[in-house]
Amino acid sequence: MRIATAKETYVADEGLLTTNTQRAWMIILALVLVLAPFVLNAYWLYLACLVAINVASATGLNILTGYTGLVSLGQAAFMAVGAYAVAFLDGHLGTPFLLNIFAAGLVAAAVGVLVGVPSLRVKGLYLAIATIAASFILHFVFTHWVSVTGGMSGVNVAPARLFGIELASPFALYFVIVPITAVMVLGAANLFRTRIGRAFIAIRDRDISAEVLGIPLLQYKLMSFALSSFYAGVAGGMWAYFFRVVTPESFPFATSIFFLAAVIVGGLGTILGPILGAAFMTLVPELLKYVVEWLGPVFPNAGAALSPVRTIVFGALIVFFLVFEPQGLAEIVRRIRRFFHLWPFKT
Amino acid sequence: MDWLFFAEVTLAGLGSGALLALTALAFVLIYKATRVINLAVGEILMLGGYLFFAFSAGFGLPVWAAIPLAIAGGGVVGALVERALIRPMLGETPISVFMVTVGLGSVLMGAVELVWNTDPRALPDFMGATPVFIGEAYVSRKIAIGFGVAGVVITLFLLLFRFWRGGVALRATASDQAAAYSCGINVPGVFSLAWIVACATAAGAGILVGAIGGISPTMGVFGLSALVVVIIGGLDSVLGALVGGLLIGLVEAWAGTFLGGEFKLVTTFSLLIAGLMIRPYGLFGTVEIERL
Amino acid sequence: MTDLNRRHILGLAATAGLASTFLSTLSAFADEKELVIGGSIPLTGVFAFAGVAIEAGISDFVKIANEAGGVAGRKLRLAYEDTAYKVDQSVAVFNKLTTQNDIHLYYGDSTGFAKTINEELNRRGSILMAGASFGSELNNPEKYPFQFMAGPDYVEMIAILLEYIAKQQKGAKIVFVNSDTEFGRDPIEASVKRAKEMGLDVVGQIVTPPTAVDVSTEILKLRRANPDFTIFHGYVLAPLPEFLSQAKQLGLKSRFMGTFWSMDNSLWANVGAPADGYMGVMPYRYYYDTAPDAPILEKIRKLRPTYQATGYMQGFLTAMLMTEAAKRTLEAGKALDAKNLKASLNTIKDFDTGGIIGVPISIPGNSVPVGRIYSYSAAEKQMKPASDWISLKK
Repeated sequence: MRIATAKETYVADEGLLTTNTQRAWMIILALVLVLAPFVLNAYWLYLACLVAINVASATGLNILTGYTGLVSLGQAAFMAVGAYAVAFLDGHLGTPFLLNIFAAGLVAAAVGVLVGVPSLRVKGLYLAIATIAASFILHFVFTHWVSVTGGMSGVNVAPARLFGIELASPFALYFVIVPITAVMVLGAANLFRTRIGRAFIAIRDRDISAEVLGIPLLQYKLMSFALSSFYAGVAGGMWAYFFRVVTPESFPFATSIFFLAAVIVGGLGTILGPILGAAFMTLVPELLKYVVEWLGPVFPNAGAALSPVRTIVFGALIVFFLVFEPQGLAEIVRRIRRFFHLWPFKT
Repeated sequence: MDWLFFAEVTLAGLGSGALLALTALAFVLIYKATRVINLAVGEILMLGGYLFFAFSAGFGLPVWAAIPLAIAGGGVVGALVERALIRPMLGETPISVFMVTVGLGSVLMGAVELVWNTDPRALPDFMGATPVFIGEAYVSRKIAIGFGVAGVVITLFLLLFRFWRGGVALRATASDQAAAYSCGINVPGVFSLAWIVACATAAGAGILVGAIGGISPTMGVFGLSALVVVIIGGLDSVLGALVGGLLIGLVEAWAGTFLGGEFKLVTTFSLLIAGLMIRPYGLFGTVEIERL
Repeated sequence: MTDLNRRHILGLAATAGLASTFLSTLSAFADEKELVIGGSIPLTGVFAFAGVAIEAGISDFVKIANEAGGVAGRKLRLAYEDTAYKVDQSVAVFNKLTTQNDIHLYYGDSTGFAKTINEELNRRGSILMAGASFGSELNNPEKYPFQFMAGPDYVEMIAILLEYIAKQQKGAKIVFVNSDTEFGRDPIEASVKRAKEMGLDVVGQIVTPPTAVDVSTEILKLRRANPDFTIFHGYVLAPLPEFLSQAKQLGLKSRFMGTFWSMDNSLWANVGAPADGYMGVMPYRYYYDTAPDAPILEKIRKLRPTYQATGYMQGFLTAMLMTEAAKRTLEAGKALDAKNLKASLNTIKDFDTGGIIGVPISIPGNSVPVGRIYSYSAAEKQMKPASDWISLKK
């Protein structure tokens, strides 16, 4: 039951967390995130870090696709740009870890703006295909700009160091990756309380109307591309420190599809969506492994079917959510919340 | 400059371009009727190759029976997909439908891996091996056959759109669904027809592509090259598919020969971006006018 | 509010408790008397045809070794999971297996994985790794101290081919054809240099894009270059059959050669007539080889009555060399850490592999630079030896 939520000021009404229940849940989430590394083993910590990296990148894509309505299938390529930026800065200049991650975001943002230029002339699916083209061109750059990218064999990245501590294990990296992701998600949530964020939404809903209302389209579309790629770049930078090797094949085109799928499954145009979506899409294949193990005694051949089944489940999830739950996982969460808000009146 | 070599390369480019055009046709048919970009065309193409493999090598059917069966199989898949997945998505944003086809592609790929596993395979040879020479210029026999088949099929489609009732109905549906419906055209029927014909075409292209390059679950990437073709040619133009296909085929062949194989993809994709900047709706595509 | 908090903290405590019991059951460490080989093995995905065979090879070796009493009193065990040939999944499997088992020997599935995980290996200093990759970059004991490969690296494979060519025909004309992937590009630069040093004439280099279907323009280039030998690298099967059949149509004189992963017998058996005369370098004997000095192949045929792919021998030998290193370490009474394991591995000299490789082998560094040229006979549907064993000298 939801009571006593009336607000006295607009500021309070626009707050990120408006009820005590929400605040309580946030505190719990923060506690769980802080305590998790002490409970989980290396395998689950590895997955947790991977989820956090994917959440950061999916949140970025959501700014572009979910809020601005520009579909991009180039997110993986922007991540690669960030990863290479980190590898280059770390290897050639030896600049500190956090600066590298930030710079990776900036470099990716610059590339994102470049890729976003056609977005004024082409729209919708044509734009999506232009981003596919851009990601293949970037792949070509990665393989042939040998002095920076190391060509096909890629570059190794030394372990991150922060305050003299070497961050090599998932346990150590967790304490860097998860906070960065948290800050980025918070940034995205706040973005849509500002003029810029609202302009994005206006462009998504009807770009011509937005222009009539005085929103310079090119500027805002490029800004959206820049922000989205900044997120991808930072995620890619964290990825580089996490896997410590970057090759052109680290970020295949399928990864871009993965992120778009994650955002769709999670829920386009919500803050919660990409978080749930990225976590869900990253963990489902791992959980399938347990299902297969569990089925092992019944179907001795289950192991051999794992990868095809993963591919099928991946596709089926996309289809299922688009057909039956187009608002994604975030909508399911909203429905659950609404149930408790209305409980016990609506049964 | 070795002109004979140049001529041979050009012919090879036109040949593989014709295959691209044939696959691009599948994109165009579906887009024309239903305004959907079907990214699963590549996977249906792969499925066509595997069906042919199953009928000819698996069941031991003769080639003349296996080819129509594989093509029909593609058509059946098209019909099922349209009815079960695409029709319910009517009215959703193009992006959502696009992603449905992406998911579908993944499902098809997994299903093929599940049935035939991931080993690369060679299709039984049914095209013979004697080389073809045009004048002095050598052309691979398979490419020449592919070119012939693609040429015939595309001409057939151009004629059908001009003279056959179903073809005219499809064009009417493409230009205005409501008007077509009120003239008594069975618009949902046109949707189904377009999907069936397009998927059958893709499956047929799959047999040709598989005969040349062998089949594997990842051969669906061929669809991506065909997608470039339709974007350059115009999403709703059969002629655009033909011209775009030959153009891309030529560019790839020249780039591959004179710059090196690693430049093939990057050249086509650069061309794609340049093309989009100059003509956002492709060479022959219909320009959509946006109104408030 | 206070009420809420208390309830949530209680809930949290319960979750944490549940999680810890769950994890403690997961990380139940194995019995001390075991020697575990961990494995990130691609049982599915694009490399599945090799991964399945590799798994069979390793587990058969484990079975045979355990029947013979284990290794220095310890029972061998293989703990593996599927990776679908994706680096992030391989790393996940590595993390999972190493938290669940006490692992000192590990089988990895790709060059990318090896490069990713080696930093971690150096940090842990407890695991000796080998794998399905023959990437020449990994054949560097300084950079990859705890890594080895049970065969020649890709550059050495091509060097073996070149040595064969040089013996067949002085100053032969060669064309290299490789795919535009990490795998394909790996040995090309070094091999072109080496071929020139050996007095061979490199008349062309052809790169095919990874998605190539149609190879007719490449064939045209090959026809103009008109080499005596064409060396492929970076392929498993496609588009090699199309190359071969078109080259035959055109009557090119070139002979076609490949490296280990494109040498599987059963893959070529499906290609049929165009495959006739295809050659390549193979570090191991084939399953059906009945040479008198190969008793272990006899044993394998008894265990598995049907043909086993080349990956089987690769996995089998890798496991054999790994356990040999572990055995020598344990017998010397040293601790099972990466340094000792690698040092023991490097003491392997003139080692008899039971006939998997036809000559006694030594592992001075990270690789076993030995191989033999085989040629495919379409009539017998088999790869037939075309040369004696060739050992490269450093």
